[in-house]
Amino acid sequence: MSASAGVRPAGTVRIGVYLCECGPNIAGRIDLDAVRDALLAEGGRYRGAELVVKRYGFLCSGPGKQFLTDEIRDNGLTHLVVGACSPRDHDSTFMGVCAGTDLNPYLYRIVNIREHCAWVIDDPSGATGQAVSYLLGGISRVLRQSPLHERPLEVNPDVLVIGGGAAGMETSLALAGNGRRVVLVERGPAPGGCMGSSSAAAEAVRRHPDIRILRESEVSKVIGFLGNFEVEVTRRDGPAETVAAGAIVLAIGSRTFEPTDDPDVSYGPDDDVVPLEAMERLLAGGGEPLLRDGSPPRSVALVHCVGRGELGYCSGSCCARALALAARLRAVRPDMEVVSVHRDLCLPGRGGTGILDRADASGVGRIRALRAVQSGNELAVEAMDGTPSKRRFDLVIPVPGTVPADDTGRLAAMLRIPLDEQGFFREMHRMVDPSGTATDGVFLAGTAHGPKDLRTALRFAGSCAGQILTRLVPGERLVPEVKVSEILEAYCTGCGNCREVCVYGAIHADPDRGISVVNEAVCRGCGNCYGSCPSGALRTRHFTNEQLLREVDEALRRRVPVLPEPPVAEVHP
Amino acid sequence: MDGRPAVRDVLVIGAGIAGMKAALMLAGPARRVVLVERLPIIGGKTIKNEESFPNMECSTCMVAPIQQAVLQNPHIETLTHSVLEGLDGAPGDFTARIRAKARYVSLEACIGCGMCWEACPVTLPNEWEESLSERKAIYVPCAGSLPNVPVIDAERCLRLNGTEECSLCVESCAFEAVDLADGDRILERRVGAVLVASGAETMSPAPFVRLGWGTLPGVFTSMEFERLFASNGPTQGAITLRGSGTVPGSAAIVHCVGRAEAGYCSGVCCMAAFKYERFLHHRIPGVRIFHVHSDLCVPGKAYQGFADGSAGDRSGLLYSSSMPDVEVSGSGDSLLVRYPDASGAVAEVRVDMVVLATAIVPDPSSAALAGTAGLGLDASGFVGTADPSGGSMETSRPGVFVAGTAQGPMDIQGAVIQAQAAAGQIASLLDRLRVDRSGAGSGKRPAS
Amino acid sequence: MTGDPGSGGAAFLLPVGEGPDGAILGLLAGALESGAVDALLLPVPLPAGDSFAWILTRDPAVAAGGRPLPPVMPVQGARALRDLTRKGESDVRILALMRPCEIRAARELAKLGQVRTDGLLLASWDCPGALCSKDHVADPDGAGRRFAGMIAAGSPDAGGGVRSSCPGCVDFSMTDADVHFGLLGEQDGALPVMAGSPAGRTLLGSLGLTPAAGTARWKLRAEMERERRETSRRAADEAAGSKLRGAEGLLSFFSACIGCRICRAVCPICHCRLCHFDSETPRPDPDAFFDGAELRGGASLPANRLLFHVGRMTHMSLSCVSCGQCSDACPAGIPVADAFGFVGRAAREAFGYEAGRGDGIPHPLRTWRRIEPDGIGGLVRDAEPGACAHE
Repeated sequence: MSASAGVRPAGTVRIGVYLCECGPNIAGRIDLDAVRDALLAEGGRYRGAELVVKRYGFLCSGPGKQFLTDEIRDNGLTHLVVGACSPRDHDSTFMGVCAGTDLNPYLYRIVNIREHCAWVIDDPSGATGQAVSYLLGGISRVLRQSPLHERPLEVNPDVLVIGGGAAGMETSLALAGNGRRVVLVERGPAPGGCMGSSSAAAEAVRRHPDIRILRESEVSKVIGFLGNFEVEVTRRDGPAETVAAGAIVLAIGSRTFEPTDDPDVSYGPDDDVVPLEAMERLLAGGGEPLLRDGSPPRSVALVHCVGRGELGYCSGSCCARALALAARLRAVRPDMEVVSVHRDLCLPGRGGTGILDRADASGVGRIRALRAVQSGNELAVEAMDGTPSKRRFDLVIPVPGTVPADDTGRLAAMLRIPLDEQGFFREMHRMVDPSGTATDGVFLAGTAHGPKDLRTALRFAGSCAGQILTRLVPGERLVPEVKVSEILEAYCTGCGNCREVCVYGAIHADPDRGISVVNEAVCRGCGNCYGSCPSGALRTRHFTNEQLLREVDEALRRRVPVLPEPPVAEVHP
Repeated sequence: MDGRPAVRDVLVIGAGIAGMKAALMLAGPARRVVLVERLPIIGGKTIKNEESFPNMECSTCMVAPIQQAVLQNPHIETLTHSVLEGLDGAPGDFTARIRAKARYVSLEACIGCGMCWEACPVTLPNEWEESLSERKAIYVPCAGSLPNVPVIDAERCLRLNGTEECSLCVESCAFEAVDLADGDRILERRVGAVLVASGAETMSPAPFVRLGWGTLPGVFTSMEFERLFASNGPTQGAITLRGSGTVPGSAAIVHCVGRAEAGYCSGVCCMAAFKYERFLHHRIPGVRIFHVHSDLCVPGKAYQGFADGSAGDRSGLLYSSSMPDVEVSGSGDSLLVRYPDASGAVAEVRVDMVVLATAIVPDPSSAALAGTAGLGLDASGFVGTADPSGGSMETSRPGVFVAGTAQGPMDIQGAVIQAQAAAGQIASLLDRLRVDRSGAGSGKRPAS
Repeated sequence: MTGDPGSGGAAFLLPVGEGPDGAILGLLAGALESGAVDALLLPVPLPAGDSFAWILTRDPAVAAGGRPLPPVMPVQGARALRDLTRKGESDVRILALMRPCEIRAARELAKLGQVRTDGLLLASWDCPGALCSKDHVADPDGAGRRFAGMIAAGSPDAGGGVRSSCPGCVDFSMTDADVHFGLLGEQDGALPVMAGSPAGRTLLGSLGLTPAAGTARWKLRAEMERERRETSRRAADEAAGSKLRGAEGLLSFFSACIGCRICRAVCPICHCRLCHFDSETPRPDPDAFFDGAELRGGASLPANRLLFHVGRMTHMSLSCVSCGQCSDACPAGIPVADAFGFVGRAAREAFGYEAGRGDGIPHPLRTWRRIEPDGIGGLVRDAEPGACAHE
C-alpha cells in the first residue's frame, strides 16, 4: 500500500480544483464563486494540503485543456479535481491532459456537477450546496488515490485457429502473411470441412508458407491472455506441442440435428429415407437418387424444419439448401415429383428469392403445412386450415437444423467462455460484438457461433481476422487494464471466494503459499472479487473501499448552507 | 503513381454503426480515418430505435459509447453534413473530393444550449422524426444528437433563402456561434482505401394505396412507430393515434410490405414486428395485437426465441396466403384489415392501429454515391461486392469496400460483422501495398 | 446422520478392557504400527495437568500418552488441522481423533479452502459435551471425574458445568467422519467402531478387528440421546430468539462485551488473517463520530462494538457448528455461542444448507444461483426503529 493511500498525505500536497462553467449549463444554475469560497473555507479539513480553486469557461475545449496543462505545471499540482460534466463525456479528455504533464492520470478525479447538480436541481442554492458536497467528496477521494502506471506488454501477433472448415480456412488465409503466422488445429485428417479437402480453400491453406496445419490434433489446455496465449495441442501422432499465439479463433463448426430426435420424425433402415446432406453429396458426386430396391423414386418429399420445435430456433440456411436440392432433383429426373413440405419458408436476401424462383420454375411442388409427421415414407400433414391428410412418398428427405459441435462444451470450459441457451459459444454482445467473446483475444468464426449460411460464416471469419489485424499489430504493444485487483499476500488465506466469482479466470490459487493470486494482465477490474473477499486482503485499485467510502462520507457530511438567503429548508443529505 | 508511397489513410462514407465500428478499428497513430456523414449527426439508423432486438437494449445507450469514441478519437476526422463529390485514383492512392456543406453554426463555439432554435420563426415537419413532429429552420434532428450542434436548413431559413432579413438566431446566441456567411467547402483527402457504409432506407408504403398509409391516420410505417415509442421522440414514447391522440386498444402489424415489389425478403422486418408487439404490450397493457403475415423469417439462434417470447401477449398470428392482396380501410373509428387466408377466402380483423413492417431498400442517395464513386449496383440497387459468393467485401472498384445495409438488408449484427471484415481487408490491403510500393517490410516481426 | 454407520457400511468391535480411553489409544497405536497410517494427531495432556495440546506424532510411545477423550476443548481441533494442511501438498496419511464438532468445523474449513482433506482420516466419538475450561483449570481432577460420569451416561446432563451449547447439540455422534467410536453402544466389554467412508473401512479392516454383528444398541441409545438434545436445543433457541429481539435485544445481549475479539480468535471458522473489522474499511474518520453524535445524541467508541458481532454472524454463521469455543473463552461471560448458533441455524434453513458435511456441496455464499432464496425475509423479526446513541 502506497503512502498516498492513507489519510495524511506526506510532503506538499497541492490539489487543483477546476470548476467548469460549461456555458450556462453549470454556471447558469450554480454559483461557482460561492462554491469556490466554500471549498477554500473547508481547506483545513485536508490536513496540510493546499487547495487551488478556479473557474473556467469550457475546460473540454482546446484552450481549456491548455489552461489545465498550464495550471498543473505552474502550480506544481499533485492532485487534480475537475468539477464538470459526466465522466462519460470527458473523463478520458482530462486524463489525457494529465498524461501530457508530470501528473499521474490516476491522481485526478472528475466530479459531475452538471448532470447530477445543475441539470436536476432547480433551486440554485440547493444545486450549489450539492455541488459543494460532491466536490468535497471528490477531493477526499482523490487524496486517497494512488498513482498507477501503465505497463505495455509485448504481443505475439501469431494466431491459433481451431477448426479447419470453411470459416477456419478463411480466417487463416485472411491472417497469414500480414507479418504473422497461423497455426491451424484440425481434429480430422485434413482441413476442408464442408468445402471438402480438395477445395480451392484447402489447397490454398496447404500451400501457404505462413500457415502450419496440425492434423488429427486437439487443443487440450489454454493459459494466458490477449497477446500472450500458450496452448497445448495433443496430436494423435507425436508428442503434445505448446503453441504460442496472441489470439485464438474458434472455428469448430457445428453438427446436424439427428432427424429421429424430432418426435414428429421416425424411420428405420428399412425405409427409403435419406437426410439432406447425404443426398446433396450423392448428387454432387454425379449420382442419382435410387430407392433401396434399386428403382428410381417417382415421388420425393423434402420435409423442412426437422428438429426446429425441439431446438427452439430456425437454423436459417436449410430452406435454401432444401429448395436448391429440390430444383436439382427435378433437373436430374424431370419426371419425378418433387415436393417441399414446409410451414414458413426462411429465405432472406436476394439470393433466397432466387432459389425459390428457380425451384418454382423447375416444377418443385410446395405443400404448406402447419405440421408434418413422418413415419417411414408416410407423411401425415396438417394443412394451414387444419385439414389433415396422409400421403406416401417413395423417397423422403428430412431437412434438419444445425446444432452445436460436440466439442463446444469442452472448449468453452477450457477458454472460460459461457455457452448461450442454445449451447453455442456465447458471443460478447449479440449486436455490436458478435464475433468476440468474454475472454479477450478469443474470437468466434462460422457456425461455432450459431447456425448461418456459408457466406455469413465467411464474413464472421473476416470479422475475426479484422479484429486481430487491427488490434494485434506486430511490433506494437498492448496496455492492459491498470485499475485491476490486487491481493495482499500477508492477509490472504486462499479461501477462494474471489476465484469463484471471477468470470475472466484472472485469479488462480497458489497452493504453496496458500493464497490466491491475480493475473493483472487478464483482470478487467470489474471488482466482483473485491465484493466477495470476507477480509481485507483484496482490493481493486482506484476503487478501494477507503476511496469510495470516504468520498461518500465526505459528501454526505452535514454542513451549513452555502447561500445565506433563501435559507435552506432541510439539512443536506 | 508509381514510386509514390501508398497512402495509409482510409475514407469511410457513412457514420452509422458499420461506418463507426470500421473507423474505430482502423484509426490509429499510423492511419487516419476520414469519416464522411451526409446527415448533420452521426449514429445512423440504430439511434432511431428506442430498443433493438433481440436484446431489447436501449439503442442509444448501446451506440453512445461508440459515438463518443468516434468523436473523441484524435485520429478520426469526422465530417458531418458532408457528401462525397468525386473519387479518383486507385488503391493506395485515391483522391476524394468532399463537399463539407455549410452548417452555418460553428462546431467549436456552439455548446448546444438550444436558444437559437427556440428563437427561430420557421416551423416545418421534422423528417428525422418521420414528420411526426416539427423542427425549425435551425435545428438538431433529435434530443441527444451528436454532435450536439444545430444546422441551418438553407432552403427554409428566411434569411438564407432571401425572404427576409431575419437574424433571430444570431442574436439569441451568447457564443456568437451562428455564422450566416458560412459556405460549402470542398475538401480533398488522399486515402489508400474507401469503405462505403452509407446505409439503406425502409421502403415508403405510399405507392400501396390499398394499405391506406397517408390517408388513414391510424396507419403507421415501421419507422414512424419506432419514433412513436422512442422516449426522445415526438410523443416521448406514448403510442397514440395521429390527430385524435387516442391510445389504441388493438393493433395489427402487417408483415412483408413491399416484399413482392422489392423481390426479396429483407430478413429483419419480422423481428421488428415482434419487437413492436413488445413495445405495444409494454406501453398499453391489455392491447390486442395481431400479425398479418405469410412466411415468418426469424433465422439464427436468438431470433425464434425472441418471437416466441412475446407469444403470450399477442391475440393472433393471422396467416395470409397472399400478402400483396392485404388491404386496410377505414371503418367508422377503426380500421379494417382484409387479407386472403389459407383457403383463399377473405378474412378480416378490426383494429384501432395498423403498423406496416416495410422492406429495406437502397437509400435514395445510393445511386448518386455509386455513380460518384464508380461502383456497380446490383439488380436491387444495393452496392454489390465483386465476389458473389466469398467473404470479400470489396466492390467492383478495387480498393473500395462496402459494409452494412448499403450492401443489402441485414440486422445490426450483420452490419457489424461486415464492417469488421471490411476493416480487416482494408488493413490487409494497405499493408500489402506498402510492402509492394516501398519494398520495406510491412508489419515485420520484431527481431527476437 | 446420527446413528447410521454411513457410507463405509462396516462396523467392528473394539474390546474395552479397562476403559474406552485405553482401547482407543490401542487402536490408534496399532494403526500407526501397522503402517496403515503414517502419523497421528490427538490430544495429549500438558505437564501442568490442567489442559491438553494437539500433538502430531509418528511415535507410538508419544501417542500412548494421549488422552483420546479429553474433558475440555482448549483448542478447536479444526484449527490444528488448518495449520497442518493449509499450505502445500503432502502425501502423508494422518489419522486425527477429535470431537464431532471439530470434524464438522474441519469439513466447513475444507469448503473454504483452509483444510486439505487428502490423506486425512478423521475419527470421532460419541461426545457427551465439553466442560468449561475455567472449571477444569480450577479443579482438573474433579472435572475429570465429572466427565467420566458424562461419558458413561453419554449425556451432558450427568455432569454439570458443561458448555451451554452442548446440551442442545444434536450432532454429537457420527457425522461424516471416516471412523467413529460408538461409545454409547458399549456392551459386553466391547464398543462398536464404525467406518464412515471407504477409507475408514479400509483402515479398520486392516487392523484385525472382529466385525460387529450389528449396532442396534448404539443406534437406540444415540437416538434417545438425540431426542433429549433436540428438546434442549429448541428451548435454547427460543430463549435466544426472544433475547435477541430487535436492536435493543442485540445490544443487551452483547452489552458486557469488552471488544477483545477472543470469540473470533478461538473460532475455528474465522480464518481471515486480516479481519474485515480490523481493516480500514469500517473505521470512520473522527468527523463521522461528531456527525453521529449530532444526529443521534451521542456516538459510541471504540467503533463497531456491536457491528463486529453482527458482521461476524454474517460472515461465518452459515458455517457455525456450535462448538461453543466462543462462549467458553469470553472473559465477560457472554454466551456468544447461543446467539451465533441460533442465527446460524435459521440462516442455514433459509439456504437449505447443512454445515459440517463432507458432501461436496459448496458454501452458499460462494454459489451463484439464478433464483436466489427469498426465505431470509421471513426470519427477520419486527425490529423497533431504535434511535439509540450506541451503535
